[in-house]
Amino acid sequence: MFGYRFIRRERPLPGGQVAAFAAGVLIALLVGAVLLVASGNDPFEAYAKMFDASFGSWRALSTTLTRAVPLGLAGLAVAVAGTMGLWNIGAEGQIIAGAIGAAWIARLGPDLAGPILIPAMLIAAIAGGAILALGPALARARLGVNEIITTLMLNEVAIRVVRYLVNGPWKDPEGQGFPIAPVLPEQSRLPDFFSRANIGVLIAAFVLLIFGYYASRSRWGYELKIAGSSAEAAKYVGVSLKAKILTVLVLSGAIAGLAGGIELTGSADRLVEGVANGWGYAGIIVAALALMRPSGVAAVAVAFGAVQVGGLAIQTLGVPAAISDIIQALILFGALSAAVFSTYKLTRGGLGAAEPTGQDEDARATV
Amino acid sequence: MNEQTIIGLLVSVIEFGTLLYLAALGEMIAEKSGVLNLGVEGMMAMGGVSAFWVGVETGNPWLALVFAAVVVAIFASIHGVVSVAIGADQVVSGLALTILGLGLAAFLGEDLVFEAPRAAFANFELGPLADIPWLGETIFSMTLVSWLALALGGATWFVLNRTRAGLSLRAVGESAATADAAGTPVVRIRLIAVAIGGALAGMAGAYLTLKLAPGWSELSTAGRGWIAVALVIFGAWRPGRVLVGSVLFGGLLALEPRLQTFRCQPGQEGLCLGFEIDPIIVSMLPYILTIVVLILISIRARHRPSVAPAAIGQVYRREER
Amino acid sequence: MEANGLAVELAGIWKRFPGVIANAGANLKVRPGTVHALLGENGAGKTTLMNVLAGVYLPDEGTVSLDGVEQHFAKPADAIAAGVGMVHQEFRLIPTFTVSENVVLGSGPPIIAKSTIEDQVAELASRFGLATEPGREVWQLSMGERQRVEILKALWRDARVLILDEPTAVLTPGEAEELGRITAAMAADGRSLIFISHKLDEVTAFCDEATVLRGGKTVAESLPVSELDATRLAELMVGETAEVSQRRTRETDVGSPVLAVEHVVVRDIHDRAIVDDVSLTVASGEIVGIAGVAGNGQRPLADAIAGLIPTESGSVMISGTDVSGTSPRARNMAGLSYVPEDRLGVGLAPRMDVVENSIMRAYRALSKGLLIDRTGASVYGDKLVEDYDVKVGKMEAPVAGLSGGNLQRLLVGRELEVNPAVLVAAQPTRGLDVKGVAAIQQILVRQAAEGVGILLISEDLEELFALSDRLLVMHEGEVVGEFDPDVATRQEVGAAMAGAHKVEET
Repeated sequence: MFGYRFIRRERPLPGGQVAAFAAGVLIALLVGAVLLVASGNDPFEAYAKMFDASFGSWRALSTTLTRAVPLGLAGLAVAVAGTMGLWNIGAEGQIIAGAIGAAWIARLGPDLAGPILIPAMLIAAIAGGAILALGPALARARLGVNEIITTLMLNEVAIRVVRYLVNGPWKDPEGQGFPIAPVLPEQSRLPDFFSRANIGVLIAAFVLLIFGYYASRSRWGYELKIAGSSAEAAKYVGVSLKAKILTVLVLSGAIAGLAGGIELTGSADRLVEGVANGWGYAGIIVAALALMRPSGVAAVAVAFGAVQVGGLAIQTLGVPAAISDIIQALILFGALSAAVFSTYKLTRGGLGAAEPTGQDEDARATV
Repeated sequence: MNEQTIIGLLVSVIEFGTLLYLAALGEMIAEKSGVLNLGVEGMMAMGGVSAFWVGVETGNPWLALVFAAVVVAIFASIHGVVSVAIGADQVVSGLALTILGLGLAAFLGEDLVFEAPRAAFANFELGPLADIPWLGETIFSMTLVSWLALALGGATWFVLNRTRAGLSLRAVGESAATADAAGTPVVRIRLIAVAIGGALAGMAGAYLTLKLAPGWSELSTAGRGWIAVALVIFGAWRPGRVLVGSVLFGGLLALEPRLQTFRCQPGQEGLCLGFEIDPIIVSMLPYILTIVVLILISIRARHRPSVAPAAIGQVYRREER
Repeated sequence: MEANGLAVELAGIWKRFPGVIANAGANLKVRPGTVHALLGENGAGKTTLMNVLAGVYLPDEGTVSLDGVEQHFAKPADAIAAGVGMVHQEFRLIPTFTVSENVVLGSGPPIIAKSTIEDQVAELASRFGLATEPGREVWQLSMGERQRVEILKALWRDARVLILDEPTAVLTPGEAEELGRITAAMAADGRSLIFISHKLDEVTAFCDEATVLRGGKTVAESLPVSELDATRLAELMVGETAEVSQRRTRETDVGSPVLAVEHVVVRDIHDRAIVDDVSLTVASGEIVGIAGVAGNGQRPLADAIAGLIPTESGSVMISGTDVSGTSPRARNMAGLSYVPEDRLGVGLAPRMDVVENSIMRAYRALSKGLLIDRTGASVYGDKLVEDYDVKVGKMEAPVAGLSGGNLQRLLVGRELEVNPAVLVAAQPTRGLDVKGVAAIQQILVRQAAEGVGILLISEDLEELFALSDRLLVMHEGEVVGEFDPDVATRQEVGAAMAGAHKVEET
């Protein structure tokens, strides 16, 4: 590219991904500071407040962790598919499908006792997400249809289904005309964990832990890795690619669905159109930053949860909440760019540069 | 349903069609060069807010259109640099562009939300043609932006299929290594294609806030960028078919809010369906149709090369081995 | 700067890749109007050197000169502009483009009218006697036709120097002869051709001079081909007398058949029979060799035996069990092991580490319940690495970083560690250095002695003669001859490989 080119390093820089993430955060904070100054705010004040609101107290931490739940589960959903080189872009829709499933159970059995109702809602949520992912999974496994586009399209379909429900059959008669479903029964709320966090945090942590362990230790995880590395090798050793694609994408949908279920039994008090809140898309970024590893997903999800909580908090300073979206996206762009430098180095064209200059001799030594 | 409602519907079809065609054409150009850009929604928002701001400041919609095109071409180049030059994953980078674009547009446009539009694209009555029944009030009175979109579609077809530059662009999208071996500057062509795609998405955004739905809010784009992504597939990466798809999907978008009027009350005159189609079904159709088309494309690709550009999503580095 | 009278001069070219030195001070001098052979074993650095000349790779050191003028190619476009064209081994054509679109890509007129371009391409083709259909899409063409499109691309750009990288590997003998005529016509036109090969007969038939590379260095420069004979060439290419090629002591009595292939037919997507009614047996303790020019059905035959591609008809028996139509795994369980031609990809998963790759055939046995026994896996991997002398840095590093020889030892070891009855080994020594070749061959011989039946597919006749008990020749998908390596001559086998005539049992 314009006299420069990328050369693969003999081996990636140690700790490259962590450094890349740190670089991404730094770049995002710098650009964010520029935007804050330009809009007449004090970036130090804003960042201090963001930090305080997300990590400054138990209460803050509990809010951050609560936010990290859907991000982490969506991120895990994407990462599970990513292990096999598949892209589930449909976590957003699957969160919605999960929330719809959970809300449906609550409608069916509003008088059920909590210990029955909550698990039933969560199972329905898991099923909802899995069902939405089933179509793309089948199409990919049997016909080779690109799952990126099908899952993406189904997000828009899911948004319209929930919009229809809260505007039509499930509309709250006491909702003063707002497009919202009725308030969920009191006993459908997950028990508290600490401060403002409910045990959804524990459920999500448990799921992440189990998958992190299972994916790296089990036959299933091993076979998944083969299938993701080489379709031919998988075929040879008797790992069915089709079965793996199917199970992985459906599982991915199920995990995202669970996020919707926890949201509905946790933070949200009713089903609304914006129930997924962009977490499905953010989850893709979380998974990408975590290099598709469940352990990394948890850490990045907490960081992103903090940015989101902090972004909401500085609205009181007159800063638009959109700053948190901007920072998240910039972290990704920064980290993506930085990550490349941990595996590649940029070098001058050297000997073969189109217009040799006096510097070529020096450049050659670095090749 | 009377004549006026039908004409109103047709005008709306043209307006949505124009919006979708501009954005989809841009996405198609990028994809033809091998770069999937899932940032259309964000690019459209950036275009919308930039154009609306210039419109408010100057009152000149054309200046706003050009400004939006330039701003979004630069904005799209973030995706270009990150995914093409640096070589990060296109899917992730594109989605991040959407998040960044929506966030940045909301941030920058915060003070514009309650601003009244001061510029709008005027309908352009094409002389005596504008007096033709039906056509006169619809096609022959549409804005110059719609004509511009058609012209750009024709130009895109011509460049892609009848010029050296277009052949190179398609080659880069089919096989970067082959194109490179033939002396085609892969990275440069992809960067340019992504920037042009951004410019067109920016123009779509300008048309959105200065004509289709005058005004600015962070909800302005309303998921229409995703329809543009879908359209490229629906139109099998061909400008003509993407146009047909834009009119079709534009028709569905135009129909959605009008469906109630189709179910005539007793005694009402005009075109009546006599039954109710829920708008929800209509609003889902673009996405479902796209999935169907994608499945058909995959089935067809079993016996011959796919119509999709083969190198989509692939990073190219010359010395990799 | 002028007047050394050379069309091409490469001097002291060095090119390093991570872990590999491909060129270590290579030289090449080509006179105008000649066909120059560039010879060397696989991995000798021929292709890398030519990629340097074609501007694909930047050399780390050394100079490239055309007609005495030093060149600095930063990209292929620079080399093309300077008149260098290259026909790569894997064709660089766009399947969905027409012949003429492929030809003019990157150097057509700014506005392209389809019919005009097609006429011009047809005209150019007829000038050099190349048969082609400019309006057809390339995915519909045969390999020979595709190669002609590649040559047309170079001629369209008026290449003065044309590099052909192993051009005959994919051609039928008839097509190869025609290629010879085309190269002669181009040389007569004053152009210079560089013909990469490792086949002596082609070199003597088509070329004027030859340069030989070994281990990235030039070991013989611009020898007239008349001075070359097989012994001298082998000496130059291999460097030392290859002890590996000594005939192994033949098994006097072989055991019962462990692999029986009956009337197997495999068709490609064009419905062509790429494996055409092949029958063969391999007995316990026997090594059966399959010779043939690349692309004559050896690879689909091996894949079909392994169960990786479907057969249209015929049967495959392993140790008396009919495994026709079963999965690769069912065949594994029946006693088949397979060392495929593609070591990385089909054989090994590049991004997985050494342990993970070692246990691919054994992980089910190494599992406890749902989980894989990590200690067991790592012990298994360590043993494999030690037994088969695989040199690895870290067991947790991706295998993509291993050298060719180590990859192959790991793969062969993995396949043999499960005690198969029969081993199908496709090109097991291709691209390895002399030591690597010897190691693999010794393993094969030892396994045969222990009773494994081995089907050895190779393009290296010396290897086949040295190791095989029986030697089959494939040509255009059929087995066209069976030879006893103790009595058959190279010429007889070579003739069968070229499809000259069908030979019955000698």
